[in-house]
Amino acid sequence: MSAIAEPAANDSLLATPHTQVGAPIVRISALRKSYGTHEVLKGIDLDVKRGEVIAIIGKSGSGKSTLLRCINGLEVFQEGSLTVDGKPLLYESAMAMRELRQRVGMIFQSFNLFPHLSVGRNVMLAPHLVKRKNTKDNESRARQLLERVGLAEKFDAMPDQLSGGQQQRVAIARSLAMDPAVLLCDEITSALDPELVGEVLRVVESLANEGMTLLMVTHEMNFARKVADRVIFMHQGRVHEMGSPDALFGNPQTAELRQFLSSLQD
Amino acid sequence: MIEFTLWDIVRNLLLAARWTVALSLVAFIGGGVVGAALLVVRLMGRPTPNRLIAGYVQLFQGTPLLMQLFLLYFGLALMGFNTSAWVSAGLALTLYASAYLADIWRGCVEAIPRGQWEASRSLALSFGQQLTHVILPQAVRIAVPPTVGFLVQLIKGTALASVVGFVELTKAGGMIANVTYAPLLVYGCVALLYFGLCFPVSLYARSLERKLNVGHR
Repeated sequence: MSAIAEPAANDSLLATPHTQVGAPIVRISALRKSYGTHEVLKGIDLDVKRGEVIAIIGKSGSGKSTLLRCINGLEVFQEGSLTVDGKPLLYESAMAMRELRQRVGMIFQSFNLFPHLSVGRNVMLAPHLVKRKNTKDNESRARQLLERVGLAEKFDAMPDQLSGGQQQRVAIARSLAMDPAVLLCDEITSALDPELVGEVLRVVESLANEGMTLLMVTHEMNFARKVADRVIFMHQGRVHEMGSPDALFGNPQTAELRQFLSSLQD
Repeated sequence: MIEFTLWDIVRNLLLAARWTVALSLVAFIGGGVVGAALLVVRLMGRPTPNRLIAGYVQLFQGTPLLMQLFLLYFGLALMGFNTSAWVSAGLALTLYASAYLADIWRGCVEAIPRGQWEASRSLALSFGQQLTHVILPQAVRIAVPPTVGFLVQLIKGTALASVVGFVELTKAGGMIANVTYAPLLVYGCVALLYFGLCFPVSLYARSLERKLNVGHR
């Protein structure tokens, strides 16, 4: 914890979204997606308010990662609509997709840092290319963000010199450098050794505390319980149960959720 | 009977070897440019162009280079193009090299994990930016050994251009062997000269590989 700078309230590193606090920043309605004849998302309706932290849980194959990947257009859905911070998702327009992706950051299970670039250049690449940020501003911002995730001294290191937890924190800084309004986290601690999970989750928690809108697919139930405002249980391509962490974990309404939760105990 | 010294033989072979080098360079550079263009089109992932390119690659990989040389040489003549052996050999080898290089490089690009495409796409990079800043710099590292391997094949493959009457190293060797009556000596020299061309290329590739791997162990 000590390595991570405490955010000052008036000096947040996070960008301000267009959406008002408390207004819906992600709107998903009647979203359906299939791979060939196999339907993986069977009509999802979900509004996420600005600043809300959402944990998506469920068995593998329940469609939770696919839903997350639809939000920034990595997966193409066939029916329904989706807007992020006022930007609709339009596959036909490469421009619109790039606009939308500037509003949504994504962190992956496998980090996906660019192995041929130093840590600093990983963070600076997209702001340089997409936002045409000048080198001086870009670098100072990258240094700030790396300090924010506790890796200020790793600016010139190569990704393969870092531990998994450090790589994942660089990936978070890289996402933040694009000033996203929403951050998607796709099982971001699943590839980490147990002792490295905490350092990543602490960064995510601090982002949540600073008001970042977060959607995370996670297997860390304790973390979901502690940080999430709302938990979504997905089952067979549908939102099967949704509610506050206390309600969902403390008093599950459906047999499927009860079964899922008890399967985690073993 | 005229006596030929070893120097006479080697000197004439060396003169002919210039054409082997020239033909190899033309085929490699031309094939590289065409192959790279085919690769980029293929990576854009549109179905119809992809099928056409796959067919093109199959066609050139599935037929002997010798047939391609014959067909192009006689085919162009039949269509009324009065081409020299030099032009048709250069063209045939360029097409041949482009098909192979497009395929070799596609394999190298496909070896880059999908996560690299996804991460760069998520950061709002355009297709061109993804290619030039994320994918190709990594693919180039993988591509050096097979590309150089193919270049060596190509240098040796230029020997086939002798069948359409193009005087390069092999053809010159045949002509000299006929007048000196010393085929073993002449072809031995020819083989050594090919080796002299190919071996430095392999050596250079090894040093290039090392250089590209610095900073990425």
